[in-house]
Amino acid sequence: MTVDDPVGAADRLRHRVAGGIAGAGVPAGDVYVGWGAALEAATCPPRYRAQGEHGWAFPGWSPPLAAGACGRAALAHHIARADLAGRPPALPMPLDAIRGWMRSLRTPHESAAGPPVERSSVGDWICETWEAGDSATLAAVAAVAGRWLAGFVRVLGWPLPAQLTLLNAPGPAAVPAPSWRPDRASPVTVACGADARLGRVTGAGGFVLAVHRVTTGDDGALRDRAAFEAAAGALGIGVAPASILVTAGDTGERVTAPVDQQLLALGAERIVAVVTQRAVAAQQGFDPTDATPSPACRHCDHVADCPPGQAWMRVAERWRGGLPVAPPVRAAL
Amino acid sequence: MVEALGDVLAGPLHPPSPDGIAALRAELDDAARASTVVGGWSADEPLRLSKHLVTGLLRCPRRALGEDQGTSDEIIVGWVVDAAAKLATVSPRRTITVDVAVAFLTALGDSTVADHLADLGSAAARLKAEAAMRIDRLAAAGLAGIDPGWWPRVEDPVRVALGGGAVTVAGRMDVLLGGPPTGRPGVILEVKGGRWYDGMRADGHLYALMVALRDGEVPASAVTIVSDGTSHVERIRPALLQHAAERLDEAMGIAARLAAGEPPAMHPGAHCQHCPVRPDCPVGRAWRPGTAEDAS
Repeated sequence: MTVDDPVGAADRLRHRVAGGIAGAGVPAGDVYVGWGAALEAATCPPRYRAQGEHGWAFPGWSPPLAAGACGRAALAHHIARADLAGRPPALPMPLDAIRGWMRSLRTPHESAAGPPVERSSVGDWICETWEAGDSATLAAVAAVAGRWLAGFVRVLGWPLPAQLTLLNAPGPAAVPAPSWRPDRASPVTVACGADARLGRVTGAGGFVLAVHRVTTGDDGALRDRAAFEAAAGALGIGVAPASILVTAGDTGERVTAPVDQQLLALGAERIVAVVTQRAVAAQQGFDPTDATPSPACRHCDHVADCPPGQAWMRVAERWRGGLPVAPPVRAAL
Repeated sequence: MVEALGDVLAGPLHPPSPDGIAALRAELDDAARASTVVGGWSADEPLRLSKHLVTGLLRCPRRALGEDQGTSDEIIVGWVVDAAAKLATVSPRRTITVDVAVAFLTALGDSTVADHLADLGSAAARLKAEAAMRIDRLAAAGLAGIDPGWWPRVEDPVRVALGGGAVTVAGRMDVLLGGPPTGRPGVILEVKGGRWYDGMRADGHLYALMVALRDGEVPASAVTIVSDGTSHVERIRPALLQHAAERLDEAMGIAARLAAGEPPAMHPGAHCQHCPVRPDCPVGRAWRPGTAEDAS
């Protein structure tokens, strides 16, 4: 069913999710509901519950985690510099753009001719890393963030689509990513992970949220990702987007998922599931009863205590990537 | 004259026409569907191929299906050299040492090498000296100081889904230069930590095919840079793409028969010398007997 009333749809979604969260029980501590948590809670609830406060919390910046944040920030900085100079932005050179942004963080007083540099968590981490003389980490950031930027621009094309606004990046060429709390006192924050918005937000909807995935192998199903970002975006913005554009660096795909009631409902389900599992975890801790075994069992810290996971592994151990693992040759002869 | 990376980038470069890409994809999709009928894969549980597995299945299925043997000193040295090459690409001003390359790997979230060296204790010195020697040989390969207009990016991921997703072929190119939207033709760089042998070319061919399928443009060159000082330049031609597609087709067929229960064939060859399953493989042992263990 299509969304005829984007504002009303978002409003109804807010009530629905707030009701679901209220009915989920009381989680211990703050709950940050991003795509990562939603994917983990949906993939195997016991495994997600078992992570505990340490696993649920933001682990701190590292090059792999900072790839998107630094790539977006550098691209926003590149575009802002061109805007300030009154010219259209040239095709960014990924590594140069990353290094230029890093330099501007370090020397804001020398950037009078450039755009103002806004404080950000990831920017502060870059500065601390620089001051610590950790050149290996800075080089790793340049590598992964440059790869993010290159993939984003390659798949979306250059010049970037008209009316594209980068989200979740510091700087004047970007705006914060949409986030939402059921109420001011709620420990729950739902965060949209969209990288960009195409089009302006009006009551008529019509805008598109773009999500870029560097690789698709570990990101779950495309429809699930689109559903989560559609719902999180509608909650945060207060208007349902018209569609979600999901791009992938490794496959070069650009897939548009139209936002309809079913997609929003699936996204709402994913969001509420995170809070539900956190509440269950507060009461029960790890309980493998509802485990959903998958290839993730191979790397799961809790498989030894998980009968469904062990049962799955007894079969899976004989297979790898669609091929049987060979027995010793003597036994096969 | 032996070509090097600098010669390639100086041009001129003439990538093949993209006209044949759609036909190649159609051929591979058909082959994947035919293999899937036998192999029983699905989009949810696909056959996952990599460059190593494609080569392995064609070379010796028995070895390709063997359990993961973990890391060896030779593999660790190769990873250090590989990291040094990538670091030279993204950070050209630095003198690349073994310690810096290991720190780069660790910063990227992979502590396997650092842990292995730590476990070796003082014995790590020999390994590090070997890695340092190979890194020195790489220095002349021209990885540092590449014009930013080439968009140098390391570990660029590429994935191709075939037969409706029942077969996936995935990998990460060591270094990718050019390609859309740079306006320059694509150049694939593969870094190898050991010694040159002709079989290394196949990785570049497969990546050229995968990049063509992903980007809709055929890369102009695949350059294999080896830590023995070899730089092998391959101008990509339609025949090479066709050859890579035929290898992929054959690998899917072998994989299908294995998944259906056919015992893995054992093909002896030079690869037996370093094969981890050789002690259990009578064919491999017979190919080059001579050690005490082989005679037992």
